[in-house]
Parts: sequence; structure tokens; C-alpha cells
Amino acid sequence: MKLEISESKNSDGAVRLALKGVVNIQTSVALRRHLKPMLGANQENIHVDLSEVGFIDSAGLATLVEGLQWSRADKGRRFVLSGLSDNVRDIFELAKLDSVFDIEQEEGTA
Amino acid sequence: MSDVTNRLSCNLNSSCDCVHVLSSMVEVMGHRAGLSDKETNRMILAVDEMFANIAQHGYHGREGKVDMSVAWHDGTLSFELRDYAPPLGKGEMLVWPVSSAGKEPTPGGLGVHLMHAVMDKIEHEALADGNCWRLVKFLHGEQYNEA
Repeated sequence: MKLEISESKNSDGAVRLALKGVVNIQTSVALRRHLKPMLGANQENIHVDLSEVGFIDSAGLATLVEGLQWSRADKGRRFVLSGLSDNVRDIFELAKLDSVFDIEQEEGTA
Repeated sequence: MSDVTNRLSCNLNSSCDCVHVLSSMVEVMGHRAGLSDKETNRMILAVDEMFANIAQHGYHGREGKVDMSVAWHDGTLSFELRDYAPPLGKGEMLVWPVSSAGKEPTPGGLGVHLMHAVMDKIEHEALADGNCWRLVKFLHGEQYNEA
């Protein structure tokens, strides 16, 4: 079980991280390693695409919370999540994190 | 009421990348028990969190044995994880602090919070040479059909 992480830049300069696989106690180490330097860099907008993530656990959520905390440390920063599957969204809801993250709604969803 | 007992079991190493083995076992039993995908995913989450807690807080990241069994009997789905780490005191692992809704979220205690949110009962038994953790889910009529 692994996690593939690819990084690209949007036209607006935002960094886009696309994740593929599962984000759990084992794979979140790689995600943290990837995310950490971005949070330290002169970056204002980070977008994490979870559309190909089938499962996330508390270790994965904790890693994303670090991004959330980074965004809250400065008004101009945004840390956006998108592409949550029903199962992943359910885990965010169980953790009561669905209302604190900036989650981009997909077209055609509520 | 069914007399049929379904049981699956396996032995794992806490430090290896074997969470997918647990997930597969839970998925198989969840489907046998008639759980929806959403409920099965929740069971996988709870078992994943317990396994991670044993690996992190029981064995402190070192290699250790974990025996896992899943049983479904008379409307009850139960997961038992047995470790050989130093026995913990009563409730020692299940009372970690949880961040409250509305407050600044913190990662601490999130795994325990998720396990409690998903399961109906979580039991811990300190053994002479380790710990036994039981996660229990009672399957009621409405849960079979939950979307």
C-alpha cells in the first residue's frame, strides 16, 4: 500500500499536490516530508487534490492539520482540499474536521 | 438469530506495512455481515487506528507481534487485537485528550476519538504478557441499509 505524490503549479501560482493511494500512519510520513518544506517556503496557496485517495486515517488527517495550522498563521494563506470521496469525506466528518478545512466542492455536489 | 460464527484471524508484525491485510480482513467480514461500504470503511478505520496505536504506543515503533481476529456472531461484529507489549494500566490508552469541535484542531488523540466514534464498545484487558483490545460493533437493522 503506498501513496503517490505529484506536485504541480496552477496558473494562479498555487502549488497543487495530487495524492494517489492511501494516507495512513505509514504513508503520511512521505506526505509530511513533502509538505513540510512547502509550509516553510514563501508560499501562499496550497491545494491538495484527494480525488484518488481511497482511505485516510488519523495520521493522514494530522498531517493535513499541519497545513491548516500553517494557513491560519497568516491571513493571506490558503490550504485547500478537493476531490474528497464519500468515504474520505465521512472520515473528515467523524473527526469533525469537515467544517474547519477549506474544502472545495466538486461540481454537482452539495 | 443466527448460530453461525464467522471468524478470520492472522498474525502480524507491528512494524511492517501490513495495514492492508487488516483492511482486507475487515472488508471481507464487513461484507459477510451485510454492512454498507460506508460502515465497512468505518470499521477499517477503527481497526487501522487500534493497530497504529499498538505499534506507536505499545511497541514504541519497535517490532512486535500482533494477533488479530475478526468475528461476526448474532448481530455482533468484534475485532480482537492481541499484543505482547508491556501491559497498560486501566484505560491508559483510551483516554488521550481529544480536540473539541469549534476549537483549534490538534492532531492529539484523534485516533482514539475516531475509534470511539465508530465502535459501540472498546475494551482493554491487561494480560501477564501483553494486552488484548476488543472493538465491538452491534449491528442493528438500520445499519444494514445505511447509505
